[in-house]
Amino acid sequence: MKLSKPADMASVRTIGIPRALLYHRYGVQWTTFFEQLGLTCVLSPETDRAIMDQGTALSIDESCLSSKIFLGHVAALIGNCDAIFIPRIANYGEYRDMCTKFHALPDLTRHAFHDQAPCILDTEVDLTHKRPEKPAFLELGLRLGKTKKETLRAYDAACKAQERDEKQRAKALHVTLKKSSGLRILLVGHPYVLRDDYLGTQPARILTEMGATVLFADDWSRNDARKACRSFSNMIPWMISRELVGAILSMKDKVDGIVLLTAFPCGPDSMINEMIIRRIKDKPILQLTLDAQSGTAGLETRLESFVDILHYKKEGGYGNRS
Amino acid sequence: MKNAYLGIDIGSISTKGVIIDDAGKILASEYLWTEGNPMEASKKLITVLHDRLDNDTYQVMASGTTGSARKLVGAMCHASVVKNEITAHSVGTTTLHPNVRTILEIGGQDSKIICVENSIAVDYAMNTLCAAGTGSFLSSQAHRLGVEVEEFGKIALTSENPSNIAARCTVFAESDLIHKLQMGHRREDIIAGLCRAVATNYLNNVAKGKKIIGPVVFQGGVSKNIGVVKAFEDQLGMKVIVDDNGHLMGAYGIAIMAKNSGKREKFDFNVADIDFQTREVNCGHCANHCEIICVYGNGKLIDAWGNRCDRGEIKVRA
Repeated sequence: MKLSKPADMASVRTIGIPRALLYHRYGVQWTTFFEQLGLTCVLSPETDRAIMDQGTALSIDESCLSSKIFLGHVAALIGNCDAIFIPRIANYGEYRDMCTKFHALPDLTRHAFHDQAPCILDTEVDLTHKRPEKPAFLELGLRLGKTKKETLRAYDAACKAQERDEKQRAKALHVTLKKSSGLRILLVGHPYVLRDDYLGTQPARILTEMGATVLFADDWSRNDARKACRSFSNMIPWMISRELVGAILSMKDKVDGIVLLTAFPCGPDSMINEMIIRRIKDKPILQLTLDAQSGTAGLETRLESFVDILHYKKEGGYGNRS
Repeated sequence: MKNAYLGIDIGSISTKGVIIDDAGKILASEYLWTEGNPMEASKKLITVLHDRLDNDTYQVMASGTTGSARKLVGAMCHASVVKNEITAHSVGTTTLHPNVRTILEIGGQDSKIICVENSIAVDYAMNTLCAAGTGSFLSSQAHRLGVEVEEFGKIALTSENPSNIAARCTVFAESDLIHKLQMGHRREDIIAGLCRAVATNYLNNVAKGKKIIGPVVFQGGVSKNIGVVKAFEDQLGMKVIVDDNGHLMGAYGIAIMAKNSGKREKFDFNVADIDFQTREVNCGHCANHCEIICVYGNGKLIDAWGNRCDRGEIKVRA
């Protein structure tokens, strides 16, 4: 392939990776790739109130909470690394789209931080415009001053590590499905909502404290989930939405209830969750919308009543539970 | 001495309380405004209930709290059971109406639907980010029209031609309403239109996707509005039951749960004389700055909550 950019990043030694958005999906691949190339990865800390507040201040109102949090993570990395890795991941082919927010991410970040002008290492994955993942990573390596051979070896190792991680998570999920007793609740949401320490871990913690076993939809094998989704709809453009629907279809008979977690105002979720609620009628479903409110009272009330309902249903009456 | 059980439902707008006996019969009840002070309202309520109870025959042996201030008041009066309002409402309603299949509830700032099968709640939904069409919306519109909100229902029934009010959003409903007023629509038509909008809004948002099966029981403060009841009946094409004690259902449910909890401890009506204070502490352990609420009774810490992790835990010394 023709190199679009020279080795403009050859002096970079430490790569900052925002612990947000697609990091929660491709994190293993990214960190392995850079480490294989001999670079050091610097991750931003787990999301906390300060990161969310800073991200909110940097964003326009209409952004979803997860995108706002992303900018907070970038801010936390500035000054702590030589370059920040922000790929433009548009799609992995037809009907395997990412949210439009990810199409714009490198540009959006550059403009949000125009006065600080942080060094941003970007690349582009866009299969509908003939830009697969492999040349995108090759370009990264060449820009970092590595040889083609070194880069391809690192990419290979990164893909294998990612695959191993996904397989392990799916295996662990199957073990939990088999071994856990009591109430099982499937938590469904984009990985950057489910895995964010300020967003998804809160409901997960509350549910666990109430004695429920929490299962995460994004642990289900992504390939299997996309296949399973076909029976539900062939028209869903978004890859992650497809996988979440597929995971629900594959697991719903093994759980007592489903909680849909969404970051306000997520475009894909507003449509897909509606479809899920309308079409999956044989399992209780609770939809929770997370926004920047700091109180968890509303969250607790909703989760507690949901768990109560599932318990009573299982026991077949109000009995003596208090 | 016979056993009795106390249930308190502390909502954003009103505070409700009942005392029941072992058979679930209501011995005393009271309904008053919360007025932004849940602790004072509860104290007042407890005093009134104490006066109304036949104290020579009955002794309150367990208590429960529900509603948005359940934790606060639960800590205050050492409640045996502290439960969310959805569970309390389901228990209360299914005890009195064992055949109920759907419970519609519109309160001061919450609205919810509870689906019931074989006398137990199997599904529910609650308004999410938007408080459109709840009691506080109706109150503010009543104020704008110069009418007492209690009169709304009666006035609505006199309308023959309800105005069309946009129901999707409070803000739009309000501007729609002002427009109609200025265009010369009759007041009763607008009030009837508002009642209809509340029902439409509820069915399109809160009850969206839920199958409404009869018998339907409608409760919460707004159920006292006959205009909204009629609007529900028209739109659902079925009878909607409004219980005279519908506003007490949360308190009644939590009293039943206190009775069933098996916990027994003499309730101390003197809590009404204790001086309760709360203090907000901002935890400094990390950037989350959790807002921790500490509750003090006569200067002694009795409970604390609001921390997201163990580091912010404030322990009560026994």
